[in-house]
Amino acid sequence: MTASILSAAGTIVSVAVGVVAAGLVVFAIVYHAVRKKQGKSGCDCGCSGCAGCTACGSAKKKEEKNK
Amino acid sequence: MLKFALAGNPNCGKTTLFNSLTGSTAHVGNWPGVTVDKREGVYKKAASPVAIVDLPGIYSLSPYTPEEVISRNFILDEKPDCVINIVDATNLERNLYLTTQIMEIDVPIVVALNMIDVVKKSGDKIDAKTLEQKIGVPVVEISALKDEGIKELMDRAYEAAQKKRAGTTVLESSALAHVISDVRIALKGKGVENPLFHAIKLTEGDELEVKAHPDEMQMVEEFKKQFADDVFEGDFEAMVADARYKYISANFSTAFVRAKKSEKLTKSDKADRVLTHRIWGIPIFLVILFAIFHFTFGEDLLYLNAIFGFATDVDTGNEVLNAFVAVFYSSAGVSTPGAILFNLMGFICDQIGGGIATGLENVGAAEWAQGLVNDGIWGGLSGVLSFIPQILFLFLLISILEDSGYMARVAFILDRAFRKFGLSGRAFIPMIMGFGCSVPAAINTRTLADEKERIMTNRVIPFFTCGAKAPILAAVCGAIVHIWNPGIDQGLIVFLLYVFGMAMAVITVALMRQTTMRGEVPPFIMELPAYHAPQFRNLMVHLWDKLKHYIKKAFTIIVASAIVIWFLSHMSWEWHYLPDERMNESILHDIGAFVSWICTPMGFGYNTAVMRETGWVFVVAAVTGLIAKENVISTFFVLGNCLGGALNEETMEGWEAVSFLVTETGITWQGLIAFTVFNMLTIPCFAAAATVKGETPKGKFKFTVAFWMITSYLTATAVFVVLSWWWTVFILAAVIALVVAYFILRNKGKINLKFRKRSNAAKE
Repeated sequence: MTASILSAAGTIVSVAVGVVAAGLVVFAIVYHAVRKKQGKSGCDCGCSGCAGCTACGSAKKKEEKNK
Repeated sequence: MLKFALAGNPNCGKTTLFNSLTGSTAHVGNWPGVTVDKREGVYKKAASPVAIVDLPGIYSLSPYTPEEVISRNFILDEKPDCVINIVDATNLERNLYLTTQIMEIDVPIVVALNMIDVVKKSGDKIDAKTLEQKIGVPVVEISALKDEGIKELMDRAYEAAQKKRAGTTVLESSALAHVISDVRIALKGKGVENPLFHAIKLTEGDELEVKAHPDEMQMVEEFKKQFADDVFEGDFEAMVADARYKYISANFSTAFVRAKKSEKLTKSDKADRVLTHRIWGIPIFLVILFAIFHFTFGEDLLYLNAIFGFATDVDTGNEVLNAFVAVFYSSAGVSTPGAILFNLMGFICDQIGGGIATGLENVGAAEWAQGLVNDGIWGGLSGVLSFIPQILFLFLLISILEDSGYMARVAFILDRAFRKFGLSGRAFIPMIMGFGCSVPAAINTRTLADEKERIMTNRVIPFFTCGAKAPILAAVCGAIVHIWNPGIDQGLIVFLLYVFGMAMAVITVALMRQTTMRGEVPPFIMELPAYHAPQFRNLMVHLWDKLKHYIKKAFTIIVASAIVIWFLSHMSWEWHYLPDERMNESILHDIGAFVSWICTPMGFGYNTAVMRETGWVFVVAAVTGLIAKENVISTFFVLGNCLGGALNEETMEGWEAVSFLVTETGITWQGLIAFTVFNMLTIPCFAAAATVKGETPKGKFKFTVAFWMITSYLTATAVFVVLSWWWTVFILAAVIALVVAYFILRNKGKINLKFRKRSNAAKE
């Protein structure tokens, strides 16, 4: 009985790991795609440390689009 | 919404005021040229919200560099409701030069006398009321740093914005008044906006104006013919500048009362006598840089153990407690602050990794699930996370140097040394910024007026090891020290690699100057800011921002890359799961092995029989580094764990993963160094490469990519060969001598070997 419960738990955890891993990859791709679409910086260097936080390529594109 | 623009000289405190008004956390640096583009925020404490626009610093409205054009065009074309002209009160006369130009535009102006606290502290006095009467626009005393006078400034700006203002000039009493007046009337008749400003700029012969008003220029030339001057011999730009300064000196400067001072040097001057010394300047800089790397990466604080040999491992009888004590003290000695942070994070990562591994095993998760979590997700994540505190500490120390004003001096002393090799000090500012991140550094190159210098600087910025590459250096150097024990400190090897990157930048620029980028080195004139104690808030904001983005990056792109790497390294082309022992049948192995042979000359290809089977991991690491450089170390962790079959064991952190990889692949320390050099000099991450592309003239980027690839390949090969067979250094020296001789002959003695030319750098 205990063994079968453990086996079921193991299977559930394994499936969950697979789903979470796939989710993380999809999230990373979607996250970056959305940020790019929003015209946010893609460099991830940190805007307050950036000498040209409004001058990066994606922000420029957004500005041009708004014009 | 009303729109106020913040305009002023570089390093006069515009961004500090902007942050104070809008609550933003924009980067503030104690050197000129930190801001290279306008940025917007909202001030909410006025009767109605006001948009605040922070503009790049300018000395005059006749721009020379791209970012100066931004400021001028904004004031002229975007027509802000008020221009807040920030004036550095400690340099009143020079700052008012710009004020006299802004006054010529039909826009309401308020002058903010910033750093008034410093003026008062020095015993000097500025009579703001007298100045206001003489200039004819509101003048408010403020201290942006201490948040003093901000409310009054904004109230007066708000008030000024309600009324229209026509431009006025201080040139009315000058000899040029007649010419300017004639041109102004003519321009006004043609319906040109801001006729006074354009009339003066056309009279000066301002390049942008001449391009924008070609028809009017002919008329101006006619007017100018009637005007003769013996002193300036027709140089109208000099005439206008002279007239402005004379007026400022005669009228405005009277509001400034200098306290009687002794002839003693200020603290800043005293410090500069040492830190910018002609001979000792660079050695002092190198010592400071070494100290930074020692405190960040060294394991033996101040080499106390190396000198006195007192340290031993502590055995408390408890494994966890032993590990905790080793965070601060081990047989290597007393840990440096950076090492403590690294060890502490490693200790935490170990505990978490161990917990996860045990939990998954107990619950009976499938082998692939355990591998995916332990080696893939946690392996990739912990690899990056374990270095975060150490890298943040490095940033803290570099930020202190920046904020104190020392980095501006570094540009000055490097100009003196490297001008003869074709590099100006101005170009060093974006390069030094490259220690943080190549993206803002590349953007900052737009402050360089010379196009060739801009291209060259963009090409060599990645050679200045950024924060993302620092973990690669730390891990590799840590592994080298612990496996081969070369008798030198980890911090020293990291320092030497950093210096090597800088030296490569200078060497390649010198080569470009002799070949594809011939030309004169632009003069370097920079105002050296006064030294001041770094602002705690600035430092913390900067670190917090770095931390936030590191974590964001770790949990998105890095963890996703780690999962994909693990997946591809455990999947066969038939889509079957492969255990760790069969990774050599995986998709990733085949892709890596396909190009691995190319890396043989660099020491991480088909160098040995074992490496023929396992060397592909280095190719994969280098390629994943293109997405984000942190991926190199993340890939090391994922594949290092798997190669060694370390499943279900505690996840390795720091240099241990690399040392494990060394054992499994059989790579030599020479190969590891060459691998690190290759990563330091090759194509930077996609974000940085895209930014460099944006800052490079059309059609030149492909040459930049070729430059990165060729330089990194050849240099890494040379490093590997010389380190493996020391005598090859003579062959390399002969090749270098031949190249140098070729260029000397090609230039027919034009190269000034005695370096007699004096630096054009000027310290104001």
